[in-house]
Amino acid sequence: MGSDEAYNFVFKVVLIGESGVGKSNLLSRFTKNEFNHDSRTTIGVEFSTRTIQLKGLIIKAQIWDTAGLERYRAITSAYYRGAVGALLVYDITKHLTYESVERWLKELYDHADPHIVVMLVGNKTDLGSERSVPTEEAKDFAEKNGLLFLETSALESTNVETAFHNVLGEIHRKVSSKEVTRGSISAVSLASPIPRAAGDPEEKKPCCKNL
Amino acid sequence: MARIRIEPGNGLQSAESTKSLRDTRESLALTDGEVNSFGSDSELNGYTSERQTDKYGFIGGAQQYSEQSAEDIPPEVLRQREAKWLDMLNNWDKWMAKRHKKMKLRCQKGIPPSLRGRAWLYLSGGKVKREQHKGKFEELDSQAGDPKWVDVIERDLHRQFPFHEMFVARGGHGQQDLYRVLKAYTLHRPEEGYCQAQAPIAAVLLMHMPAEDAFWGLVQICEKYLPGYYSAGLEAIQLDGEILFALLKRVSPLAHRHLKKHKMDPILYMTEWFMCAFSRTLPWASVLRVWDMFLCEGVKIIFRVGLVLLKCMLGSQDKLKMCQGQYETMELLKTIDTRYMLEAFLVREIIELPLSERDIEKEHLAQLRHWKETRGELHCKSPPRMHGAKAIMAAEPPSRQDLRQNPTIIVESSLATNKNGEGQDEDKARKKTKEEKKGKKKNSSPTPVAANPEPSDASTEPSPPLKDTPLQGSNQSLISTEHDTYL
Repeated sequence: MGSDEAYNFVFKVVLIGESGVGKSNLLSRFTKNEFNHDSRTTIGVEFSTRTIQLKGLIIKAQIWDTAGLERYRAITSAYYRGAVGALLVYDITKHLTYESVERWLKELYDHADPHIVVMLVGNKTDLGSERSVPTEEAKDFAEKNGLLFLETSALESTNVETAFHNVLGEIHRKVSSKEVTRGSISAVSLASPIPRAAGDPEEKKPCCKNL
Repeated sequence: MARIRIEPGNGLQSAESTKSLRDTRESLALTDGEVNSFGSDSELNGYTSERQTDKYGFIGGAQQYSEQSAEDIPPEVLRQREAKWLDMLNNWDKWMAKRHKKMKLRCQKGIPPSLRGRAWLYLSGGKVKREQHKGKFEELDSQAGDPKWVDVIERDLHRQFPFHEMFVARGGHGQQDLYRVLKAYTLHRPEEGYCQAQAPIAAVLLMHMPAEDAFWGLVQICEKYLPGYYSAGLEAIQLDGEILFALLKRVSPLAHRHLKKHKMDPILYMTEWFMCAFSRTLPWASVLRVWDMFLCEGVKIIFRVGLVLLKCMLGSQDKLKMCQGQYETMELLKTIDTRYMLEAFLVREIIELPLSERDIEKEHLAQLRHWKETRGELHCKSPPRMHGAKAIMAAEPPSRQDLRQNPTIIVESSLATNKNGEGQDEDKARKKTKEEKKGKKKNSSPTPVAANPEPSDASTEPSPPLKDTPLQGSNQSLISTEHDTYL
């Protein structure tokens, strides 16, 4: 990871959702353009970064991925710390994974920043014939709860870029509109010259860096 | 590549939707008109012989196999070790009681591959459990399993060591056995259920022994070596994380200070290490050496590995210069420099690190106190952990019968036997290994008389067990002293 690469912001985004919905592949698809049918179960935390350009700014997305199984929720508070965005993922072919979305939301709001940007993601659209969660139903739920919404396929790479871009864009929008006070989102603040998270390397001037 | 799935199509849960693995396997095999050839698992899914499989079964260089750094034990040394181990296995209780130090040393040197599975089963106490609960695994195996757990387990079967030839094939033998072992555990301990980190543990065991043995090995690891690790709430692993961090202060104050400064919750780096006993972190040769010691000496080995890796990666100023923040530190700990993980180096560091059971227990008490002050009572009170093979055996002393090796095929050997019938034993022992691998059940008829009379009296010097008996097919006589200095 280039510690000398220039960026304006670092946004920490977490992937949450039931085991097996495709969080790890969404991560690898977005950050490495890779997909693996047999990727290992996530135990502990995995993470990866990707720097994108958004509205002329360079944004380093730090994406964290965790185990989805129920009992791992006991150790997630460390993961949520400092997160400004979350992708809450379910599998469109497994209705149960959609049913637990409310529980995940509660978990999120218990541990994460109250202003965290959340996108509901229905993954595995490549398996359309086995769909068991209607798009409209999920979309409604998202709207009612103030969540962004998209359906994706990590396998076919559908909407993955869009999903992350949208979340990152919304985070930036929130931050720059000063909707949030300086202290509540730890990673960013537009007021400081170049915003950086605790412990980040020396501030860099933004430049038209080729990504 | 054919899109192959194990789980049933829709997400609606019902009792029937948890199809048996057999059903889904059928549909798998017939995808794309593939012939169902279960003899060559690794050919399903497209792994042909152009992908090299290493000696541990990993395909395409997975799990960091490296030809150059491979430690090659000369065959003569290996045979000597095998003979010693066979003797130990035949006189297990005596060795544990009176020669434990020597046994520990031999575990540190590495168990000969041909006997590793059996040794692990004995060390863990799994062998005794299996004998004392005959038929139990079969009973659990025949049950359907709680659909809730079965569903999660099925989703994980193709996600354990997917680049190992044993587990690469969807619905293949390895994945089937993994399913059986994990499902059996959830039936054995329904209040515990399934925790995902149990799958790699079970998989490692299955690479060395049949399903029933692996099941008991898993039971022992989950209940004796690492109690509470896989239970709801994951409190035990969090506590061990705090213990690890506290112990680090003495081992590497620099690393400790760095982690403290960047508010690195131990959970962020030690979870996969400890819960999988490093099976997902180290090169395979090192995994095996660590497990040899871990099953002999207990969790302190796991702590030592963690401390060594932390010290190596974060223990000096110039290393720390490279990681300015929490994220960079995490990245560094995810990509441990290979040279610190190589067998020879790592094993030496582990052995030399002065960390005892007492140190761990002491810190455990301190951290437990701290936990109660800051987080209240533990929700899940696990039993105290057993620090290794000897403690396990002492807690539940087995009968001699429990430790007996009972092969199902005895071959009368023309080999001259010494007064202890050792030659015959060795022969039987080899046959037993083969039979075990076929998963045959022992019959209960007594072993033929040419076989095992009272095991040799281990109060005599056990070191040259077969001094008077040439090994089958070999003219070498065994050296009587421990000339084996291969680490």
